[in-house]
Amino acid sequence: MAKVNRRQFIKISSAFLASSAAASQVFDWPFQVKNAIAEEFLTADRIVPTTCEICFWRCGVDAHVRDEKVYKLTGQANHPLSNGRLCPRGNGGQGLLYDPNRLRHPLIRVTVNGKPQFRKTSWDEALTLIAERFQQITEQYGTESVAMFSHGFGASFFKTLFSAYGIRTFSAPSYAQCRGPRTEAFKLTYGHAVGSPEAIDVANSKYLVLLGSHLGENMHNTAVQDFSKAISRGCKVVVVDPRYSTAASKAEHWLPIKPGTDLALLRSWIHILINEKIYDVEFIENNATGLEELWEGVKDATPEKTYALTGIPVEQIVAVGRDLGRYGSSALIHPGRHVTWYGDDTQRERAIAILNALLGNYQMPGGLIQQEKYSSYKPKFPVARNAGQQFKSRYPFASSVPANEIVEQTISADPYPVKSWFVYGTNLIHSLGDQRATMEAIQNLDFMVAVDVLPAEITGYADVVLPECTYLERYDDLDNRTYRIPYLAIRQPAVAPLYDSKPGHEIARLLSMKMGLPDLFEADIETYLDKQLKEMGSSLSELKKSGVLKKEESDLYRKEGEMLRFKTPSGKIELASQRLKDAGFDAVPQYYPPPENPPGYFRMLYGRAPMHTFGRTANNRVLGELMPENELWVNEIAGHDMKLKHGEYVYLVNQDQVKSRTRIKVRLTQRIRPDAVYLVHGFGHTDPRMEFAFRRGVSDADLVTKLSVDPIMGGTGMNNNFVTFSRT
Amino acid sequence: MTEFITNKVNPAVLPHLEIWGSDVAIYLFLGGLSGGLLVISAAMVLLQNGGIFNKNRPRENYSGMVQVASLLAPVLLGIGMLFLFLDLEFKLHVWRFYTNFNITSPMSWGSWLLILFFPFSALQALVVFKNYYQRAPKFQQLAAVMESQLDKIAFINVHVGLAIGVYTGILLSTFYARPLWSSPALGFLFLFSGLSSAAALLLLFAPREEKTFFSKMDMYLIALEGFAATLFILGGMTGIETAKEAMLLLLVGPYAPWFWVLFVLGGLIVPLLLETFEAIGKIKFTPLVPLLILVGGLSLRFIIVFAGQSVPTFS
Amino acid sequence: MSRKKNYAMVIDTRACVGCSACVYACKSENSVPEGFCRDWIEQKIQGSFPNLTMELRSNRCQHCEDAPCVTYCPTGSSHYAGDGTVQIDRDLCTGCKACLAACPYDARYIHPIGYADKCSFCQHRLKKGLQPACVTTCPTDALHLVDLNSNDGIFENLLEDRKTTQDIVHAGTGPKLFWLQ
Repeated sequence: MAKVNRRQFIKISSAFLASSAAASQVFDWPFQVKNAIAEEFLTADRIVPTTCEICFWRCGVDAHVRDEKVYKLTGQANHPLSNGRLCPRGNGGQGLLYDPNRLRHPLIRVTVNGKPQFRKTSWDEALTLIAERFQQITEQYGTESVAMFSHGFGASFFKTLFSAYGIRTFSAPSYAQCRGPRTEAFKLTYGHAVGSPEAIDVANSKYLVLLGSHLGENMHNTAVQDFSKAISRGCKVVVVDPRYSTAASKAEHWLPIKPGTDLALLRSWIHILINEKIYDVEFIENNATGLEELWEGVKDATPEKTYALTGIPVEQIVAVGRDLGRYGSSALIHPGRHVTWYGDDTQRERAIAILNALLGNYQMPGGLIQQEKYSSYKPKFPVARNAGQQFKSRYPFASSVPANEIVEQTISADPYPVKSWFVYGTNLIHSLGDQRATMEAIQNLDFMVAVDVLPAEITGYADVVLPECTYLERYDDLDNRTYRIPYLAIRQPAVAPLYDSKPGHEIARLLSMKMGLPDLFEADIETYLDKQLKEMGSSLSELKKSGVLKKEESDLYRKEGEMLRFKTPSGKIELASQRLKDAGFDAVPQYYPPPENPPGYFRMLYGRAPMHTFGRTANNRVLGELMPENELWVNEIAGHDMKLKHGEYVYLVNQDQVKSRTRIKVRLTQRIRPDAVYLVHGFGHTDPRMEFAFRRGVSDADLVTKLSVDPIMGGTGMNNNFVTFSRT
Repeated sequence: MTEFITNKVNPAVLPHLEIWGSDVAIYLFLGGLSGGLLVISAAMVLLQNGGIFNKNRPRENYSGMVQVASLLAPVLLGIGMLFLFLDLEFKLHVWRFYTNFNITSPMSWGSWLLILFFPFSALQALVVFKNYYQRAPKFQQLAAVMESQLDKIAFINVHVGLAIGVYTGILLSTFYARPLWSSPALGFLFLFSGLSSAAALLLLFAPREEKTFFSKMDMYLIALEGFAATLFILGGMTGIETAKEAMLLLLVGPYAPWFWVLFVLGGLIVPLLLETFEAIGKIKFTPLVPLLILVGGLSLRFIIVFAGQSVPTFS
Repeated sequence: MSRKKNYAMVIDTRACVGCSACVYACKSENSVPEGFCRDWIEQKIQGSFPNLTMELRSNRCQHCEDAPCVTYCPTGSSHYAGDGTVQIDRDLCTGCKACLAACPYDARYIHPIGYADKCSFCQHRLKKGLQPACVTTCPTDALHLVDLNSNDGIFENLLEDRKTTQDIVHAGTGPKLFWLQ
């Protein structure tokens, strides 16, 4: 037998591959390295450390580039948020970069034969048009008539530009549609917010209570790392959730609570802690006010009454309450993240804040901790003097502008008209809920600009669409957030922008020229970043190489006998809030029952899956491979009663007889209460330009026609919607 | 209640094994059939006057059926191997079967056995057609030389034929991860099925005066096949949980009608009865009998190949 | 004298949240084509509401000590690599699929080019002293590559005080994935 020349043979098989590549879709992936013989694609031409933006946690990611293609993403070993690891979405980031449906050129809405269409255009024409229209609109209605919506820290350049121009209305759905109630509740109680990444010491917690948290399905990298660490270190976990979540499967107690009654349960635990005097008496005496008022407020929340409200057996309520007392400062009630559920959200978060205070876990191992920034330096930009009115929220404790309020004002024009939206990287159609209102508001606009990577639904309504390049193709501002390990990280391009897309900073700079602010930005983003970094004691070339700079872990915990001072009016933790009382709300959280299910209807709960970030990744082919659509979880017995079959596709119809536009696959499971159904948010896209995501699964946003608005800060509770099924 | 969810996507193994289709079923049938033909033809050569047991008598001319069987054996196997080749996912590497011999791999044994099959069956065919080479003296000479060694060649061929027949079953039966296949009886089932199919094929072509001979031969072979089939079923039903489950799927599951009607009834019982009637002269010979047997044999391979993949993996 | 390696994997089902990061990392690392995977996630839910248990785990080739794929491979393509792993030599593979039929763990697939493919424990990374891609990326630190021939005590430490299970041991293949319960 003649010895086969191995090298030559590899050539033959790769030639075979090349020919099958032409024939088969399988190999059309640009990031699939053409030669599939493993030994050959091990070495990257370069590895670029940058910051992920598949979600907004901002992990450090190493982009492995070969032949000018990003073929692999790995966690940066040195980055404190990734610690060398990545979540599934971060691993599949190249699916966004090479998404064949990406926006490729600036588009302008034109009318041809009475029908609206998009016309490809040049950047110059598109930006000139935006500058002209903004000038017209702000001259006619004032600069306050322009509002900007954004998600992601790439928006910073546009905020700078608009602030200099005089536009002051900035809103992000991450406030009133997500974390806002938590922010305000903790500020009301402790004088400061929990922040993001949350200033909590989950990894060292000994007893962790999660309410409706999707930790483990919501894959914020470090949060999950800490959760797993806690479990591995023997932390006891209690999960309060109508659904047997991933976290629940790790829990000592799963409390399948009746949806909407979480506050009653929390009040009962407060009741037990005070009643049995198992709270941190010394800590509360020294650092908190309003204990008596708190006791008066929760006196009626006995475990027996709470059982009747929540469906959780008395023994379990008491067992967890006493465990909390026993574990004390090493126990933690997790504040949650997406907390706009039932409209009582600020008060529920207040109860969480109060419980944590009673445990005395403030700045203690396993409790609430202090975090720091790497540098206090912040670049200064001019702000227009002749700026228009500040947007004034109707809600007394809204510290940020609730996006839904801008929608309302766009419709009502009261107290002044909002005529133009600038939408950066957020698909309002899916993120705001109450789509009818969003649509109506859009009809009232004179002009809308959307900046996005993908043709998300919102771009279909815009007058000008600007294609931004992805996070793997651009610089952004430095990431200098508060975290337990103070760090400074860079986002830098791994590859040059594809198509005719541009980075946000470049779009903002070009637009600033057109808007008469030519000196606002540095001509070159690298100079701008380098100048900042010099101020912080580093340089761009250093950070480009290392990706991240970090300092020693900050002082997380308080010292023995340390005097604490809180930024509340009383200077102490406010167990009962005078400010809430003065504004006409309950000083101590009170429980009000949520609306009940109409007969034959199920409460619609929604959540997260590890492979997807909201609706942003539904079109990502890489991530979509393992989860192309969402499923509707229905309790097996309830489903049989409704004659549903496992695996069949149904439409959903809500309490207002609004029907989902698409169908969803039924999953009959034991993992959910019989009175609720559950689906993962972010599917059911209806823009055909997103070819992969188009009509896969159902959008819960279609069916959230009822927003239960939190009267304290304007958060939009979305869990008071009910659905039933339709086969046609 | 158990809910099991996986995000494994590999289509060849999920939701159940799906690797071999008609190509392999046809190959297994043709392999068994040609093995049977070789066994029967070689045995007839050995047993005839002048053969190994009758050396004192002059060697007879080779009967038409010996000629047909000797010729069809390598030809049908060649066609079968073409089907096997069609099933390979990496056809360019087909020669790799012959750069290695893995003593524990039935497929490796099989590939080398196939190599052995062709030269010896071809030599036998060369000899039995010795009267056709008047215009090719070289051929005539070669045939004459070989005829002197015919007993040895035929002796080898009987064994090679039997081995191929058994091999087509063993190929599947050694996969213990597949509960329906992993039965020692499968080798014999396929062997006897191959032999009875071969006899049936010859019965189909045989002149009237020879039909009784092949019909009787076929009766015995069908009886043996039925015996092997019974063992196969019993082995499954008395086996471990997954084996029993798999056997039940065959006996009462989606493949049951095919198994009972095409194989058991059409391939075994009806032909056996008809052949018995033929043997006692109650009815005339009908081509229906051999056709039923051949269809039954082919269906058996299809049913076993497909049903064996549809059953849950050993656990 | 340097000992021979004998790689195995320990998977902590308590830490695992079943997120699939391992699957995606593997797919990028090994250019696994769309529609196929070398590793995957399994969820097993038992009981009925509200008394439920759920096991989450990442699964892949078991790199058996007595691997049926190697036993049945006619060409020697599937082979023991000498470091405790089972590997496939693509130059030798005919795509006959005997190994797919032989594997009681259904760990293999046929690559569109034609050869059989499966988890290699990222052998190319091991050679460079790196951990497999799945192990490296796992946010929950649930995956651990261990060397059973080593005296470093890592394997024993992982198993200490934990109930350990293995899949279908009675298949007799000597699987080398260990599940910590």
